[in-house]
Amino acid sequence: MTAVVVAESLSKRFGEVLAVDELSFELEAGTITGFLGPNGAGKTTTLRMLLGLAAPSHGRALLFGQPYAELEYPSLRIGAVLEATDFHPGRTGRDHLRTLGQAVGVPDSRADEVLALVELADAGRRRVKGYSLGMRQRLGLATALLGEPELLVLDEPANGLDPEGVRWLRDFLRAFASDGRTVLVSSHVLAEVAQTVDQVLIISQGRLVAESSLEDLTARIGGTVRVRSADPSRLAAALEREHIHSSAANEHALIVSGTTTERVGEIAFAAGVAVHELVTEGASLEEIFLELTTGAQP
Amino acid sequence: MIAQVRAELLKVRSTRTTVGLLLGMVALILLFVLLTGLLSSVAPLSGTENQRQLLTIGDLAGVFAALAGVLLVTSEYRYGTIRPTILFTPHRSRVLAAKLVAATLAGIAFGVVGEALAWGLGYLILSSRGITLALSNGDSAQLVLGSLAGVALWGAMGAGLGTILRNQVGGVITLLAWGFVVNPLLFGLLPSVGRFMPSYAHDSLIGLTTQHLLPPVAGGAVLVGWAALLAAAGLLVTARRDIA
Repeated sequence: MTAVVVAESLSKRFGEVLAVDELSFELEAGTITGFLGPNGAGKTTTLRMLLGLAAPSHGRALLFGQPYAELEYPSLRIGAVLEATDFHPGRTGRDHLRTLGQAVGVPDSRADEVLALVELADAGRRRVKGYSLGMRQRLGLATALLGEPELLVLDEPANGLDPEGVRWLRDFLRAFASDGRTVLVSSHVLAEVAQTVDQVLIISQGRLVAESSLEDLTARIGGTVRVRSADPSRLAAALEREHIHSSAANEHALIVSGTTTERVGEIAFAAGVAVHELVTEGASLEEIFLELTTGAQP
Repeated sequence: MIAQVRAELLKVRSTRTTVGLLLGMVALILLFVLLTGLLSSVAPLSGTENQRQLLTIGDLAGVFAALAGVLLVTSEYRYGTIRPTILFTPHRSRVLAAKLVAATLAGIAFGVVGEALAWGLGYLILSSRGITLALSNGDSAQLVLGSLAGVALWGAMGAGLGTILRNQVGGVITLLAWGFVVNPLLFGLLPSVGRFMPSYAHDSLIGLTTQHLLPPVAGGAVLVGWAALLAAAGLLVTARRDIA
């Protein structure tokens, strides 16, 4: 099976600045990929090259095996939103969708369908200048869905959404990908997409610094073990004898690093210390993210 | 391509910008026709040249058609809708062509309203003051049809200029400065060059007899040439530039 999205040594130079540097990756159908990096890492520039809005200085990007601009009706296969604000304020949401849909033969009834899908049916005949940021984000999504695409490319779709909106978006993307369709979603906040995506591409200063599933990423740094006990100081001493370092989380609990819950449980049992709680705590994703993206400093 | 043009026409129709331009045009033409028709005395108004001046006020539609053309393109850049527009139709030449056609059609609509208004009101004023139409049928037809064609081409020129400049304020200012300052200045100082400017090519097309003007057919050809030149330049820069 061919990949839905292929980037081959994709590079973009703006004068002296190399915004995107030899970026290569492939996305399989049915996956949700988080495209992560701090602001200015080159995410949007990469997406613009994928979508044919910007020409790569070097390398190429293929969607369904072809450059975006060479696909016959790309908007019927690929839905994309680059900015949440790309509307004429004086045009109604429905007319916005109709101006785009009519150009590619999408019937006006489809505009009403996608408005209902993003829960904007009631606002469709109002001018966009009266929309909240959350409504604009959803109208953007409706724009992307107009052509019933198999691939969604969204740049920072969660920006400005309230927690309820973020959850709505997550559920929506999950449902979208569940029947074999593909999502590429960028964000500068890992936590925002951590519960949505299957895998992540992390870039920093235009270069790919990580490409993995979320679990692998977490495992790479290693988790810590949190143990609550009747006698934490005796347990700490017992762990120390096994060369396992721990620190007090509070007066009842320890945080133990570089080991597993099994090992901590065995040591506590051998030392005769009662354990009240024993859990693995994933390394903070933000810590991993920060480490990866600041590690790429030249 | 027809679908593409329909989409562009919907863009023209679906904001209040176009209505605003139409209302501005109507107000201005009404004002000028009333002032000219009522303040001139009967004797000069009976002459062909002055009647032509009165009835050609509908030509103001060209300014508004050109503004509509500029805005059809530059508002896409101003509000970012150019991104979804190009995502839906990555063939930029197709988008530009559709915009040129839509702006031309919008220009015809502006021209029809402007001509109807100027002729209707102008004729009313003349006959109410007991003045008969001194223009021959041929002259009248040239005035009306030439004006419609010219105004339509101004719409296309606006779209071309907007494509080259992209910036909305810059586009509007450039258009007005070019039409109202550069063209008259050139014509005044160097008529042999200035008569090739679109404002004066338009004047010759509609049959004005100002000195130094080109023959009408040549004027029409020059207007078409300007529209084509701006469109070609617009295509050239659009094909190369990235969409921010």
